[in-house]
Amino acid sequence: MTNVLEIKDLSIDLIKNKERLHIVNNLNLTIMKKQKYGIVGESGSGKSLTSLSILNLLPEGIEVGNGHILLNNDTNLVNVSKKDMRHIRGNEISMIFQEPMTALDPLFTIEHQVSEVLKFHGETSKKEMHNKMMTLFEQVGFARPKQILKSYPHQLSGGMRQRVMIAMALICKPKLLIADEPTTALDVTIQAQILDLMNELTEYYDTSILLITHDLGVIAETCERVAVMYAGTVVEEASVKDLFDHPAHPYTKGLLSSVKSLGDRTKKLYAIPGNVPSPVELKDAGCRFASRCPFVMDICREKEPELFSVQDRHYSKCWLHDMEEGSTYEYATTDSESS
Amino acid sequence: MFTYVIRRILMLVPVLFGVSVLIFLVMRIIPGDVAQTILGTDATPEALQQLREDFGLNLPLHIQYFNWMSGVLTLDFGESMRTGKEILPDILSRFTVTFELTLISALIAWIIAIPMGIIAAMKRNSNTDFGVRIVSLLGVSFPNFALATIIILVLALVFSYSPPVGYVGFFEDPFKNLEIMIIPAIVMGTSMAGAVMRMTRSSVLEILMQDFIRTIRAKGAKERVVIFQHALKNAMIPILTIIGLQVGTLLGGAVIVEQIFSLPGLGQLVLTAINQRDFMVVQGSVLFIAFIFVLVNLLIDILYAYIDPRISYK
Ligand SMILES: Nc1ncnc2c1ncn2[C@@H]1O[C@H](COP(=O)(O)OP(=O)(O)O)[C@@H](O)[C@H]1O
Ligand code: SF4
Ligand SMILES: [Mg+2]
Repeated sequence: MTNVLEIKDLSIDLIKNKERLHIVNNLNLTIMKKQKYGIVGESGSGKSLTSLSILNLLPEGIEVGNGHILLNNDTNLVNVSKKDMRHIRGNEISMIFQEPMTALDPLFTIEHQVSEVLKFHGETSKKEMHNKMMTLFEQVGFARPKQILKSYPHQLSGGMRQRVMIAMALICKPKLLIADEPTTALDVTIQAQILDLMNELTEYYDTSILLITHDLGVIAETCERVAVMYAGTVVEEASVKDLFDHPAHPYTKGLLSSVKSLGDRTKKLYAIPGNVPSPVELKDAGCRFASRCPFVMDICREKEPELFSVQDRHYSKCWLHDMEEGSTYEYATTDSESS
Repeated sequence: MFTYVIRRILMLVPVLFGVSVLIFLVMRIIPGDVAQTILGTDATPEALQQLREDFGLNLPLHIQYFNWMSGVLTLDFGESMRTGKEILPDILSRFTVTFELTLISALIAWIIAIPMGIIAAMKRNSNTDFGVRIVSLLGVSFPNFALATIIILVLALVFSYSPPVGYVGFFEDPFKNLEIMIIPAIVMGTSMAGAVMRMTRSSVLEILMQDFIRTIRAKGAKERVVIFQHALKNAMIPILTIIGLQVGTLLGGAVIVEQIFSLPGLGQLVLTAINQRDFMVVQGSVLFIAFIFVLVNLLIDILYAYIDPRISYK
């Protein structure tokens, strides 16, 4: 399979008084064609900034400091021209946000806003635009698509707006759909519908997904591979099955044990004592989880751990996997421990 | 939309009624006697009484009000107590002067203020932004009479130019008329521009931070589309509020500027009438000014509803 997106050694910096704080540091992940990739982590771990950096939509005062983001193995999104980036946005990579209530312009009809994407990417025929919109609106499950086209955002419910966002995101058949907490703001009953819809339609359009959530249940339901993020870095990366069956990183173990039943969405991820350190509290040296880790060792505070390969395509950023340092570490639920 | 407009129009009736009662009472409470000012201090008490009776000022208040109102409702505002001239035609002819001054000032203000406000918002905290903010602060806080004096002095001393004396209507001699109007309009325009610039900057800035702007960018929009189609339209509501207040106020007459430039506008009419205790003229013109003010606000409200689909549903 080919890579759609490869993020390599990414750091995202907050620039304050000419100083650079690495809010996101040494982040690596690769999304393949048609893959459903998840990023999970507590609030404040840098998931949203990572997703915004892909389309160069970072807020003022925050910028990519290091690393590269490759689209289709060739285009480095960190330094493409503004014009090329405009061509990629909404066309090759599109994005859905958490808040459907505020993600649409209140003063324009849905039709105007959806057709804009097509217009921005060169479609000129009104009839063609209309047909494409009608097709997508039927696919996202609107019984009366014509009526939806004519309405304004305030006339639609949160779930309907998120369907509009999905239609808008897929109308140019992008290679990658980034969805940042797409269901968090929705009623529980609607959440599953929206996830199913995203799954179904991205399969139909051969689109990869980067799904960002703080909810392990959402990951379990939707994704094939997952990266666990903590304080601005990926601490563990594995297939969803491996991650749930044999979590390797102490943080992941904490997360999993705090979610008793995977289907239980009401459980949040706060059962690990302490909080994600804020960017100002972060030190560049050492493991970022050290302040909350039950297994913390001397080396953890001095040197940032490498990304150890604990199994085939299962990586964990923790000194415990280093034979010299962590020889006593038990991989609790694991049966086929690699050396 | 239609019922919304009708509802807004009906709301004007009690407002105008309130204004008419208020100005009617105020004119009868403030000290000063129209008969005395007309006849002078050595008039006999009989003569004064006679004149008051001629004006109907001896009648009970509610009768006086009723007489005035029944005239107003048939567009007969009565006659000036000083000159005997009909009031409404006088108001209307002065209103054309005020209207022209307002129109030119507002155009000057908007042409400067809205683009500058947008540029300042787009380049926040740049030197351009600081420049715009200082200029707009000056515009808001610098007194009109001082600016007018400075402009007249500079024109006279540096360019040996002095604006024509005496008012000429636009339809008599358009060029002369514009020559007369342009300096007062620049004075009024700069002070209006300051407030509009500040409001444009702050509301465009606020809109640019909204989630939906990020969505539009994520769709691949050019910055031009983001700013002029989406941000500006959303920012228009607070900008229109300021514009409506300014235009509404200015259409009621710009007393100081009219005085400095000897323009026969509404402000002058009211000022003179108050000094002379010319009740009928004061009442009539204040009611007219209030009417224009609420009319401008009505227009602004209709514009709101036109821009924002959420409004007419509320
Ligand atoms: N505009 C901003 N200015 C300063 N700090 C920010 C800004 N946005 C996010 N951050 C900080 O960056 C960190 C990561 O934020 P974010 O990516 O939103 O986390 P997540 O999406 O995982 O909840 C947080 O600690 C947050 O305080
Ligand atoms: S590196 Fe050390 S502190 Fe970090 S997770 Fe592993 S054991 Fe804990
Ligand atoms: Mg987030």
